[in-house]
Amino acid sequence: MEAILKRAAHRVHESEDEKLLIEQAQGGDREAFEQLVRRHDRDILRLAFHMLGNREEAREVFQETFLKAFRSLSRFRFESSFYTWIYRIATNVSLDHLRKRQTLREEISYESDTESHPDRPALKDTLAATTYYSNPERRLYGKEVGEKIQDALKTLSEKERLVFELRHYQGLRLKMIGEIMGSTEETAKNYLFRATQKLRAYLTNV
Amino acid sequence: MNCREYQHQITLLLYEELTDRERTVLETHLHECAPCQDVYEAERGMHSILAEDAAALDLPSDLLVESRRGLSEELDRIETKRSWWRMPVLSGVLTPMRLLESGALVAMGLALGVYVSTHTPQGGAVAQTAALQENAVPSSAIPRDATISNLRVVSTDPSTGQVELAGEVSRPLRFQGKMEDQMVRSLLFNGLRDTNNPGSRLEIVKALAQKPSDETIEEALINALLYDDNLGVRLSALEALQQYAGEEHVRKAFMAALTTDPNAGVRMGAIEALAKKNANDTELAKSIRAVTEKDDNSAVRAAGLQFVGAGK
Repeated sequence: MEAILKRAAHRVHESEDEKLLIEQAQGGDREAFEQLVRRHDRDILRLAFHMLGNREEAREVFQETFLKAFRSLSRFRFESSFYTWIYRIATNVSLDHLRKRQTLREEISYESDTESHPDRPALKDTLAATTYYSNPERRLYGKEVGEKIQDALKTLSEKERLVFELRHYQGLRLKMIGEIMGSTEETAKNYLFRATQKLRAYLTNV
Repeated sequence: MNCREYQHQITLLLYEELTDRERTVLETHLHECAPCQDVYEAERGMHSILAEDAAALDLPSDLLVESRRGLSEELDRIETKRSWWRMPVLSGVLTPMRLLESGALVAMGLALGVYVSTHTPQGGAVAQTAALQENAVPSSAIPRDATISNLRVVSTDPSTGQVELAGEVSRPLRFQGKMEDQMVRSLLFNGLRDTNNPGSRLEIVKALAQKPSDETIEEALINALLYDDNLGVRLSALEALQQYAGEEHVRKAFMAALTTDPNAGVRMGAIEALAKKNANDTELAKSIRAVTEKDDNSAVRAAGLQFVGAGK
């Protein structure tokens, strides 16, 4: 019980500390804002890197997320935790990037791209070469299985992918995921269920 | 619960999202139901494959450093732009406004005092703090619709049961006047500072928009466009000012809104207004391009490019 109370006290202290930082940042204190960034930036970058699959876009999402937060921090009213708020921004920015990429894929024919520019690699190869699974630091897990999982993830709808990403890879609780989506825990549960059903169907042979 | 509902819960079991009670009920069912047990085994197999994948999720060691550095540089850039807006040439536009607002506050206080003193039955100074006994008025002199704030006890007399109180009286008023009337303006400008009432600020901006050609009203509208927290207020101010987007200080205000406003609608509105009144200004086109090419909103970026194209 003592440990629980201690942890709760620590959490209260931490959240009060964060509230103070937010208020200071709202007052224009750049250093306070940067401290807030440091508290969450690793998680946000991890989310972006896994959602987008390449470092360039992950860096863009990272930057867009925190710049949006910087610009609209004065409107943050403490109605949710800062963590939920920043994650909500990051997921929206990530989804925007995924949509843009989809549009790009629909607009550009890979083959004609290679034909008109024979001296440079096809766009499809460029896109494939920058995926998360081509990351040289990812040594712990078989590339083949990893790519199969990536393919399976592509069969999910946008929301299924988001919920699965946040629960499975980022380890967030479904209650918080519901809040991030501006929805409920029950809705998040349903998306997770549908996502795992689709993944199971796809990965049966792995 | 039927088997489909139990199978739904298997996912939640593997993600440790069930309550103790739900878990017990599910585990009991799995012992008794072979098809559900099969689904559980399949799901668990997939879960362990995916768990390994999640465990392998590492960030490249230099990516975080690189991303932090990029963000820091971008924040520097934004701060430089903000300090540009606060340069003397622009602060000159806003400083008289602030002075006027301060003056308006004092004037309003005096006006209310005069009004109440001439409209109370005893003609007493109800609007002032009644600190001295000889200035005190009987409680019956307080208007019924008045609100008293900062109430305190000045003295009590146990022998007579008399008590003297002091406070500040305010009461609702309705009055009318022309927009040129300094008092009317002062009250409106002061209302724009009421951060608790965005609806009132929006109405004030709409009222001021009837006479945006007036210099002080224009300044008040610029202030609302750049600093009001409420999107509706900022959009109304932008709409009121757009016909003057060819004027130097309004143009600067629109550029500042384009640079700093978090809402893409306001940024788009600023570009459109600037485009209408400054279509041939190549220098402005360059500035707009520099600001919009990194905008996170594709419509704003497109509008910026369109402006540049039109200016050529």
